[in-house]
Amino acid sequence: MKCLTRSTVSRTAATAAVLLLGVACLTPFAGAAGIAGRASGTEAVSTASWGVTASVTSMNFNFNVTQTTNVVNTGTVALSAQSYVVSVSRPFFFAPTFTIFGCSVPWVGGTCSGGRGTQIGRTLYSGSTTTITSAAALAPGATDYLKVVPAGVFLFTTTVTLTPEVTAPAQVRAPIRTNQ
Amino acid sequence: MSTHSHTTKKERRYGKIAVAGLLTSSVGLLAAAGVYAGLSATATGAESVSSGTLNLTLSPDVGAGFSNFTGKMAPGDTDNVYVNLNNTGTLASAAGMTLSVTGAPASALTDGSIVGEGLTVSATQCSVAWTLATGTCSGTTKVLLAATPVSATGAGVALSNVPSLVAATGQLAHVQVSLGLAGTETSVNGVPPTQTIQGLSTTLTYTFTEQQRTGVSTNQ
Repeated sequence: MKCLTRSTVSRTAATAAVLLLGVACLTPFAGAAGIAGRASGTEAVSTASWGVTASVTSMNFNFNVTQTTNVVNTGTVALSAQSYVVSVSRPFFFAPTFTIFGCSVPWVGGTCSGGRGTQIGRTLYSGSTTTITSAAALAPGATDYLKVVPAGVFLFTTTVTLTPEVTAPAQVRAPIRTNQ
Repeated sequence: MSTHSHTTKKERRYGKIAVAGLLTSSVGLLAAAGVYAGLSATATGAESVSSGTLNLTLSPDVGAGFSNFTGKMAPGDTDNVYVNLNNTGTLASAAGMTLSVTGAPASALTDGSIVGEGLTVSATQCSVAWTLATGTCSGTTKVLLAATPVSATGAGVALSNVPSLVAATGQLAHVQVSLGLAGTETSVNGVPPTQTIQGLSTTLTYTFTEQQRTGVSTNQ
C-alpha cells in the first residue's frame, strides 16, 4: 500500500511537470501570434526660460524724490510684456501716491531721452497692492529702466515693494511655428 | 542399474528434443521478421514554404525629417517635421498603427509630473507632399493623432485613419509630426516655479509600430 502511494505521488509529479513544461513552451507562441514592424526617429529639444529680475525691489520714501530700478530680462526668450505686483505701505499720517514710468534707456536728469517715459499702469495709493503691466518688448538680456515717482506729503516712511512677474505664454514673444 | 541407465537415455533424448524445438522456433521467428520487413512501406511528399517579412521604414518627406530642434521652445511653439512611413516587407500590415514617444532624460517635459504642462505630439497626413516653407498641405489632410501629451504615449497610442499598407507599395506618406509645448507658468523676479518646464532638454524617440495582417488559412 505504501509503495502504491509513492507511485501515485511520483506519477502526479511527473504529470504536473509535463503540464508546466507544456505551458512554458506554449506561452512564447501565444505572444508571438503575429509580427510587428517598427521604425524610429529621434529629435532633441530644449525649452526656453522666461523671467525678469529687478535690481531693487523695495524702496523707502521719506521725501518727495524719485527712485529707480532696472529690470533685466534674465530668461532665454524675448518678452512682450511684464507685470509688477506693487505694494504701497500705509503711513501713519497722510497718504502719498506713486506712479511708475518705464524707459528703454537709462534715465538722465529725470528724463527718458528728453521725455517723461511710458507710464505703467495707474496711480498707486497708500495701503494698496496692485498689479500693473508694462508692454515693453525685452529681448534676452535687455533692460527696462523704471522710475518710481512719489506725490504727496511724507511725514513717515512709505515703503513701495515691486515684484516683477512674467507669465508664459501670454507675456513671451508670439508663438513660433518651425518647419524642418 | 538397468532402470537408471534407461532413465538417463530418456532424459538425453528429451534434451535433444528441447534443443531442436528451440532451434525451430528461432528459425520461425527470424523468418517471420523477414516477412514483416519485407511488407513495410514509406510514402513521402514535398512542400516548399517561405515566410514573409514586415519591415517599416521611416524617411524624410520634405525637409530633414526627425532631427534636432535647435531653438528653445516656449509655450505655444510648434516644431513640425515631415516623414514617410513605408512598409517595405513582403507582408501587408493590418490597418492601424501605434506611436510611442519617449524622452531621455525623462523630465517634466515628458513624464506628466506637472498637470497641463509638457510636450505634446500630433500627426496629420497630407495626400500630397507638404509645403515645407509654410507647413501647409495643398491636398487633403487626415488627422492621424490629435494633440496628445507625450507623457500619455509611452505605451503607444493608436493612430487613426491608417489603412492596411500593402507590401512593397504600401506607404503612409506625407505625415506631419508636430511637437508642441503646453504650459502656463509665472516666474517671479526671475525665479521659475519649483516644478517647471523651463530650461529643460530631452531627446525624444518616436517609434511607429505596425502589425502584420491577419493570418490566412489556405486550402490547396
